[in-house]
Amino acid sequence: MPSSDSEDFESADEGRSSPNKRERKKRLSSSNYSDNLESEQDNKKLEPVINKEASSIKENLPKDGWDDFDIEEESLPNNEPQKEETKASIVKPESSAAKKESQTSGWDDFDDWGNDNDNDIKEQPQKTKPQAQNIQEAPSSQQTSTKSDGWGWGWGVDSLLSTATAGISNLTTQVSQGISTVLETGIGAPDPEELARISAKNDTKPNSAEEKMISAETNHEQSNQSSATEGAFPFGSLLSGVTKFVETTGTKVIAGGLDTLETIGKKTMEVLQDGDPGLAKKRAMLGLDSGDKPVLSQVLREARAKADEEDQLREAKREAKAVHYETLFDDYEGLVHLEALEMLSKQVTIRIEERLRTDPDKRQDIKETLQQVAELCEMPDEEDEEEEEEVSEGASKGDALHERLQRATRDIGLKLQFQPLIKQYTEILTWLETDDPSITEKAVYKKAVSSLAQTTALCVELYHKTGEMLLVKSRRSTADEADALTQLTVVLTKHISDLATQFTEKLTSHATEDKDQVNNYITNVFLEAGNSSKYIENAFQLAIPIVQIGAV
Amino acid sequence: MAYAYLFKYIIIGDTGVGKSCLLLQFTDKRFQPVHDLTIGVEFGARMITIDGKQIKLQIWDTAGQEAFRSITRSYYRGAAGALLVYDITRRETFNHLTTWLEDARQHSNSNMVIMLIGNKSDLESRREVKKEEGEAFAREHGLVFMETSAKTAANVEEAFINTAKEIYEKIQEGVFDINNEANGIKIGPQHSTAGAGGAGGAGAGGAPPGGCC
Repeated sequence: MPSSDSEDFESADEGRSSPNKRERKKRLSSSNYSDNLESEQDNKKLEPVINKEASSIKENLPKDGWDDFDIEEESLPNNEPQKEETKASIVKPESSAAKKESQTSGWDDFDDWGNDNDNDIKEQPQKTKPQAQNIQEAPSSQQTSTKSDGWGWGWGVDSLLSTATAGISNLTTQVSQGISTVLETGIGAPDPEELARISAKNDTKPNSAEEKMISAETNHEQSNQSSATEGAFPFGSLLSGVTKFVETTGTKVIAGGLDTLETIGKKTMEVLQDGDPGLAKKRAMLGLDSGDKPVLSQVLREARAKADEEDQLREAKREAKAVHYETLFDDYEGLVHLEALEMLSKQVTIRIEERLRTDPDKRQDIKETLQQVAELCEMPDEEDEEEEEEVSEGASKGDALHERLQRATRDIGLKLQFQPLIKQYTEILTWLETDDPSITEKAVYKKAVSSLAQTTALCVELYHKTGEMLLVKSRRSTADEADALTQLTVVLTKHISDLATQFTEKLTSHATEDKDQVNNYITNVFLEAGNSSKYIENAFQLAIPIVQIGAV
Repeated sequence: MAYAYLFKYIIIGDTGVGKSCLLLQFTDKRFQPVHDLTIGVEFGARMITIDGKQIKLQIWDTAGQEAFRSITRSYYRGAAGALLVYDITRRETFNHLTTWLEDARQHSNSNMVIMLIGNKSDLESRREVKKEEGEAFAREHGLVFMETSAKTAANVEEAFINTAKEIYEKIQEGVFDINNEANGIKIGPQHSTAGAGGAGGAGAGGAPPGGCC
């Protein structure tokens, strides 16, 4: 609100009694405030306090204005009609007096704005005056407070926030000030009718317009019984006052709050140091002095030990993850190949079932064929495995594997890609042969798990690719295919167990003090090898329908 | 590799349009002018970050050859995103888009995000399909459109990442049920509790291998 507005109110006051703004302020902040309020019971009680505090209040004028305002409002949300009514009754005669007074002090020349509300206006001072009062109290430099005061019709919200402020502040002062203000407003301030007129005059200013509106509204509401007014008032004010109010009050509360906190802090220190300079006793009592040194270092040591332990745990977890078979298998794309193979297998199974359903005549034949293929795909016993011909002498282990794989899949009628598997095996062999003493058993174990995971992933990929190629093959030879895949599975599972054996041999050859740990590693390697074999057999089973569909 | 989500992508389109090259450019940031014919499906994976979350894109690069059509169809299921690729220098690859799209729509879930890609944008002199035509087709069928070059890497990142962003948005909107793996989205292994053992690896025969830990 422009400061000119407060000037207007000021001048309204001037017309009545005070010729000078400063003087008016002084008067407001002193006990003179309540000059006319002898009738009010509380007033007398509180007067001495006010006198005592007068000087400090003067320094803090905007705040006073607020708190005065607040405390009056507090009674509103409380919904104490009785109190309110008494207040109103106190106020009423005064307001009419004020009106008369103001009419004789140069306000007569105003136009007849608000005439239609004539009856109501008389009752308005009760609400309007606090505002006028507040504005007068607020120095014009304090734009924010002035503004909020001007808008301070937001009784409901107002009181909430300001109650908090008041609570923090020196209650005695505030209450006394507040009450005296309330009472005085009933006496000294100009009549709302005049306020309204001033507003009308200054209708170029939005705030005045707003006020005018509110005044009108207020008048209207006030025409009802005072109890009704209490209920209705906050709503009208909420509408207009909330926005502006929030921003100004925010600043206010923070500023006031900080001041209060500072005061509390200072006071606390004073109390604490009272009879205990330097807080020596209290420190001793809290164990913050001499005695704390060993304790503190002890605490720090413990904390550090704990942190170290946690680090080790985390490291162990990370390590465990690094040699986590499933994760590695996924990273080597084993999982996704298995997933794709499974999708193919399901698709094919659906097709086979469809064929069984749509061709009832041949159903028995088809079933028999499927059964035959399934039998062909049964894994040979361990003993049969031993009969396997030995590969040519002198060939490297990698070549030997290649030879076995090719021999196994000789009749499948597809050109399968074994290179990745052979290449990987060769790399593993090279790694195993390097006799580097710096390689720890842990490193060997890690290499073993990762090699097994990678080999298994490549095997699964092999089944997947074989399955895909079988499905697009033009001429199927189911029996051969079934046989080839079965043999392939034998070779691959053998390959896995070979790998595991070689890694465990490497682990065993490692001279180490920690035999338990090595044994643990060896167990795990065989465990993962078993895991690998399961994946491979799983892939093989998924491939069987793909072989079967070639026969039906 | 820890990730918050895994998105399954599928790359489809006629043979020779550059599907495998797009994948290679995206995963390895390199271009290989002569590429083996893809058999069935090949895989690629890369981590990206969206909204501060690590997302693993698992890309299924399918064979474009007609012979593999029936096989690749079985891979459509469970894809969250699809890159439908044509070659801007060969009109017939553009003409086949409708068939590809029908296939994709029929065999995948309805929420799948499809990105239409006109590849080989570096071969401007041999262009047979105008960019506007691609845009029009995409508009008509509700696809996202982009012209890319696997050779120069132009728009390759964007194609994959924008698709991922769209999927991610759909997750945020609740369109995708991330707990249903048929949507092509898996929640990553946040806190793997499995120890070094991993004995429970291979499940029973038909158990879905997904959702690893």
